[in-house]
Amino acid sequence: MRSKLNFLIGVSLARKVKTKWFLIAQILLCLLVVGIFNLDILIKHFGGDFEKATTIYVVDETGVSYEVFKEALLLNEKNLYGEDSHLYDIEQIDSVDAKKEEVGEEGGIIVYMKPSSENTLEAELISKVTVDTYDYSLISSALNSSKVVLVMNELGLTAEDYSKIMSDVTITTSLVNENSKTEEEGTEMIMTTVFPILILPIFILTLFLVQMIGAEVNDEKTTKAMEIIISNVSPTTHFFAKVIAGNLFVIGQAILACCYGGLAIFVRHLLGSGGAAFFDEIGPMFSSLLESSIGSHMTIIVPLVIILILLTFVAYALVAGVLASMTTTTEDYQQVQVPIIVLSLLGYYLGIMAGMFKGSLVIKIFSFVPFISSILAPSLLVLGQMGIGELILSIGIMVLTNFLLIRYGLRIYKVGILNYSSSGLWKKMVKALKNDSIR
Amino acid sequence: MLKVEHITKYYGDFKAVDDLSFEVNEGEIFGLLGVNGAGKTTTFRMIMGLLEYGEGKITLNGEPIDYSKTDKIGFLTEERSLLTKLTVKEQAIFFGALKGMKNKEILKRLDELLERFGISEYKEKKIKELSKGNQQKVQFIMAILNHPQLLILDEPFSGLDPFNIELFKEEILRLSEEGSMIIFSSHRMDHVELFCKKLVILVHGKAVISGYIKDIKRDYRKKNIFVKGDVSKEDLLKVGGVLEVVEHADELEVKIESEEVVEKVFDLVKTKKNITKFMVEEPTLNEIFVAKVGESYEK
Repeated sequence: MRSKLNFLIGVSLARKVKTKWFLIAQILLCLLVVGIFNLDILIKHFGGDFEKATTIYVVDETGVSYEVFKEALLLNEKNLYGEDSHLYDIEQIDSVDAKKEEVGEEGGIIVYMKPSSENTLEAELISKVTVDTYDYSLISSALNSSKVVLVMNELGLTAEDYSKIMSDVTITTSLVNENSKTEEEGTEMIMTTVFPILILPIFILTLFLVQMIGAEVNDEKTTKAMEIIISNVSPTTHFFAKVIAGNLFVIGQAILACCYGGLAIFVRHLLGSGGAAFFDEIGPMFSSLLESSIGSHMTIIVPLVIILILLTFVAYALVAGVLASMTTTTEDYQQVQVPIIVLSLLGYYLGIMAGMFKGSLVIKIFSFVPFISSILAPSLLVLGQMGIGELILSIGIMVLTNFLLIRYGLRIYKVGILNYSSSGLWKKMVKALKNDSIR
Repeated sequence: MLKVEHITKYYGDFKAVDDLSFEVNEGEIFGLLGVNGAGKTTTFRMIMGLLEYGEGKITLNGEPIDYSKTDKIGFLTEERSLLTKLTVKEQAIFFGALKGMKNKEILKRLDELLERFGISEYKEKKIKELSKGNQQKVQFIMAILNHPQLLILDEPFSGLDPFNIELFKEEILRLSEEGSMIIFSSHRMDHVELFCKKLVILVHGKAVISGYIKDIKRDYRKKNIFVKGDVSKEDLLKVGGVLEVVEHADELEVKIESEEVVEKVFDLVKTKKNITKFMVEEPTLNEIFVAKVGESYEK
């Protein structure tokens, strides 16, 4: 019987893998992953209007504000976009009319600054199209700086006085445990940036798994080939074959996705641009995590988390198999799989929110709930709100869930896979649950 | 030997099979007949272990049928049960492997059967691309791929033209000669008469007739006499024991209530002129079936 189990697993995997669509999907996925990792380089490589600096023509009727405006604008730009940024060409002109026609045809912004008796400085922005929000905010900030200088001149204040007025109160922070500061920063970064990226594949793979098992069971049911299959192998063998094949497929897919990620980083490194920056950002985050209290237990935590994820995949596969056996058409299955997907989605969102609501009791309770614990437990571990003991408890609950799913799900599966009518289905399922004579 | 002993199956309160018993020996072709819903498919599914039964026993060569025995069984379901996205070859490898066959063995047998059924060119074609008739042939090939010791055929001739029925018939007889036990169901009594030595007629899950066809026909008291000559329908109907006279193109079919009536009819016919035919025939299976099913429904 074991050889038939292996055979069925092989057939299920081959049906997924030995198709041109699988190959096409892998090529597209690889290209997408590499593309997303190198999106900024790609965009810059092909060029575009974003590289063209916006010309800002300044008409300064105050006679003293142009230099301050120019300096403030360029300073704001460097602060926001970096030293190498060159977004603006700033030019002083005598009158609006001198460049109005040119701006109307080729673009650019005329900043018309004039003195105001009420507000010291007034400005008018003249452009071909509505001024971009980012440009507007930078210009606005620079104009405010110009106004401050004008007021200072009026009041006879020196730059030193201005600096004293405007400078922030110096606040120093200190923690009882100084190490926890960097640790917390690293954790924060991981929870907000890295973690959503890491748990997204788990969510997508869960969808793959549920879809794959459902589609296969439904195909065999709708074509009635199930009659022949089940007359040769037991429902138990068939059920496990589907579950094992589904899990092997998603594990394989996860490994491939990791390879594509590795390739993407390698490509980024080859392209030179930004490669170092990428590692510069990611490296310290992981370093701080490794230096933390969790880091010292990584050799235990990583295998435990992997076990929890695998057990959760098995549980999803078991539920998908049971639900697929109960349905008679693909359309029916698509409907019954919605709760599984929503459950998985709940785990995904709670995983992301764990970082925002640190110490949340609800999220902590959910981290023990089967099906979503695989996403939540690692989140809480990284945040330091869960210990290894609690992680082991989550695993234990998952093992128990799988045991119950096998014990009772199999009974439903046995009845369901040879049932082609939806009438009295629930009655049959309840009867099946009470029947413990599974062949 | 396949032995079905007193099996009963309920669907809720509905008794689908009622105390059914029969035996099929090696090389025998056995017919399971009945109108729709009589319990034929349920019986097959119970033999294959797809359905559990409340009472009774089913054994193959003295042992219960479990998954250690199913490699020796071939099963053709009433509806198409093929994975239509697969090619004929892939399907054969899939079903053959489930029967514990090796790839080489499967492909050799497949080539042999495809050639015999005249569809060798479809080996690499997807099943969904084949016509209904050819799909039925493929399904039959899948059922006999493993040289089954026991072959179960649920309505094997549905959707087939007379030429292909002949092909199936040849193959069924070949398997029978090789020693396979064959059970099949059909609505068509002429098909059953072609092959079966033994049969059971099911009505509401209960066997109303069971045994060898020759015995059934012999025991069925009503006979038919075919008469050709200058004899009128009215004269024949006057003979005691004549139930009905059916006019055919150039002869009359006289249905009589028992063999004893033959002599009385003969006494009348021999007094008539130009008699060229007087033939006593057993009733057809169809007649017996209709009569028995009718009786059961009347009850």
